[in-house]
Amino acid sequence: MSVKDSIRDTVTSNNVVLYMKGTKDMPQCGFSSRVAGVLNFMGVDFVDVNVLADEQIRQGIKDYSDWPTIPQLYVKGEFVGGSDIITEMTLSGELDQLFDDKGVAYSKEAADKIREANG
Amino acid sequence: MSKQEEIRAALEAAFTPRALDVINESHQHAGHAGHDGTGESHYRVRIAADVFKGMSRVARHRAVHEALGKDLVGRIHALALEITD
Repeated sequence: MSVKDSIRDTVTSNNVVLYMKGTKDMPQCGFSSRVAGVLNFMGVDFVDVNVLADEQIRQGIKDYSDWPTIPQLYVKGEFVGGSDIITEMTLSGELDQLFDDKGVAYSKEAADKIREANG
Repeated sequence: MSKQEEIRAALEAAFTPRALDVINESHQHAGHAGHDGTGESHYRVRIAADVFKGMSRVARHRAVHEALGKDLVGRIHALALEITD
């Protein structure tokens, strides 16, 4: 399977996938850590892919989405954004809306807490 | 030209922004991954331009990446973007 096919397979066969540096339990970059932290805190069930463990995926994911940076969040196969966009969407409530629309389970209460703490 | 000046020049040429701040935050990341010791690794851009109206968040970011070009983006470890219309 080509790198591109393998990425497509991963993002379409899992509801929520985060390509990141490090793992959800041990992020190795502040930006990856921020997005994984939001998803963890909101109780979202997501698959983490550590790009540092695979140089082909590290470059391949940038080509796949035509997006130059890591982390990258995918929901139901669709590229949502990197750390700036996910942060903005969390604070504006757009991320809740996206999860609602896509049928992804999360804690609305936890999301509200993040907004209260950053309001 | 410093990278900060390169970023500013590219964005001014592409978007004629109403407001543009290019902030070098490299010193805040001393000792972290990607801090390469040059003092030119981490940047934050705040840009406001009419052209972003009606564009999705992803499209706005892509437009900025494209304006900067692969070469410059590749030479920066981190670029935080705050984009408004």
